[in-house]
Amino acid sequence: MRNPWTRTGNYKTSYKQDTTIFTTYSEQASLIVFLVGMLVLPQFLSRHSMQILDLILIYALAVLGLNIITGYAGLINIGHAAFLGVGAYTAALVSPYLPFWAVLPVSGLVAALAGAVVGIPALRIKHLYLAIATLAFQIIFEWGVGHSPALEQGGAMAMPRVVFLGYKVGFKNHHYFWYYVIFVVLVLLAFAFRNLLRTRWGRALVAVRDNDRAADAMGMDPGKTKVFAFALGAFYAGVAGALYAYWSRAVVIEDYSLAISIKFLAMAIVGGLGTLVGSFFGPAFLELLDINMESISHLIKAVYNPPGVDVASAVRPLAFGLAIVLFLIFEPRGLANWWRLLRSYFRNWPFKY
Amino acid sequence: MSYFLQLLVSGIVVGSIYALAALGFVLIYKASRVINFAHGHFIAIGAFTAYALAVDFGVNIWIAALVVLVFTAIVAYFTERVFLKPLVGQPIISVIMVTIGLASVFGGLIHLTPYGSGNFSLPAFLPEGGVTFWGISVSYPQLLAVLFTAVFLVAFAWFFQRSTIGIAMRAVADDQMASMSLGVSVEKVFALAWAAAGITAAASGLIVGAISGLNLEGLVGIGLKVFPVVILGGLDSIPGAVVGGIIIGILENLAAGYLDAYIPGGGTGDVFPFLVLLLVLWFKPHGLFGTEEIERV
Repeated sequence: MRNPWTRTGNYKTSYKQDTTIFTTYSEQASLIVFLVGMLVLPQFLSRHSMQILDLILIYALAVLGLNIITGYAGLINIGHAAFLGVGAYTAALVSPYLPFWAVLPVSGLVAALAGAVVGIPALRIKHLYLAIATLAFQIIFEWGVGHSPALEQGGAMAMPRVVFLGYKVGFKNHHYFWYYVIFVVLVLLAFAFRNLLRTRWGRALVAVRDNDRAADAMGMDPGKTKVFAFALGAFYAGVAGALYAYWSRAVVIEDYSLAISIKFLAMAIVGGLGTLVGSFFGPAFLELLDINMESISHLIKAVYNPPGVDVASAVRPLAFGLAIVLFLIFEPRGLANWWRLLRSYFRNWPFKY
Repeated sequence: MSYFLQLLVSGIVVGSIYALAALGFVLIYKASRVINFAHGHFIAIGAFTAYALAVDFGVNIWIAALVVLVFTAIVAYFTERVFLKPLVGQPIISVIMVTIGLASVFGGLIHLTPYGSGNFSLPAFLPEGGVTFWGISVSYPQLLAVLFTAVFLVAFAWFFQRSTIGIAMRAVADDQMASMSLGVSVEKVFALAWAAAGITAAASGLIVGAISGLNLEGLVGIGLKVFPVVILGGLDSIPGAVVGGIIIGILENLAAGYLDAYIPGGGTGDVFPFLVLLLVLWFKPHGLFGTEEIERV
């Protein structure tokens, strides 16, 4: 019997072995250690860091959804933030009547419905045309919200404070409470994401991405599969949107604009398209980059600060755009690929490969 | 009736800007199958460079316009050489994302200059007023805009029908393999398509400057309006870009003129083109003049 804790090569001999998620005990052990670490992490972080961590995890959930649509199914989605927005506005409308744990799936389902509707053109069109359809949805969504008096015309809609087990979540423990909620939701949905490719529906997504005519010939319906991908990805986005609404205490249209949609695409690509770890690396990398650019812009201001120029608001899109471009040119497989290389380095140590 | 005609005329003026912008967009798409999300930023680069030359450096506006056309072409040319060339053969999403990233970079760079925020207007170089017929008034800048667009379209039509480079570009758009085997440098054609797109983008930026004020968001917004135009006209059709541009311009103005009164907050013109886009995608996905794709396994 080989050592079940390490693996230096691919010894899989059956289909069943090939679809397992964990090949060694050490992978399982490190995941458990990581999850326990995440559970105790808030003990060591300030309220401000918790706020950033919460945001990264919510974005990670949204990027998971985008990775189903764009990563697994290969459908470019330039309207993902609008799906979050659908979830967030649903949350804003139903939260006075429902407890928060019921609001989350409801928001997800409404967003999934929106996703399916946006996906309907996929029955006829594909590739770039579909990408442009999602762009149109994003713009129409923003405009529609901006012109709906029921939604405060895109202005702030306050979210009610949440009562949990008879205890009202207040200002001090807001970010800590929502951290645990986000964590639980994220673990559940990440688990579903990882296992999606072991189901026939998940494999159909990848088959349609790689060659939809061939998938058609094998008995899959490419159109329906694409609509399914949109609905499922939008469900993730809707839940993330509801969490975002609770986390930020208000729903404002700026949080669900085209710029945010582009940010999600960038996160998915920088992290590594269609990967689970990438969905965490991407948001973490770009959000931390964004935060650090603020301090870097102070340095730049010392050298270059002409009147009428807001250096801070210039440096952030610059760094964001450069990150996208440089990753695409030099590491198209994203941070997830670095993670893979790092892991294989340690697994095979002291050998090179 | 005169209200309708007035809307129609201003629609044609706006539409000719869209047509010019869409022309460059289609050129890039035809040659290299790249969807350029940074097109609005090329328009902005052209417009603000012209403003900087004409106002801050006091160059004659016509000379400034010429310099700007060349300058934007060079920027677009090197954009292709440096950022797009390494991605030839990569999946569509990489190529789209690199143009989105470039849009962000250009946006940041423009924000580093004083032109990033606020409104600017090019110095008036045409006499005030305009012509009035049948109760419709058209200002000289508006007339010039349409004229300018027409001149550009004729020039480009000549370029593609008669010049060697233009014919090479058409050949590449038609069949890359075949044109490569006939000695056409496909790489060079890609870069030239971008340069040509840069020229048209700068031209539409100049026309915006002549008709109304310049601000970054508005100029980048034209880059987004190009999408309904090219979907309506057909992504890979140059006549489609022109016809689509003018139709979208007219529809946008009519929608704004007649529907704004019924909608709280107005602004119908901003969203109407995108509704048209969705309708076209549902019922006639390849647009008016686009070629339908035939796929085999």
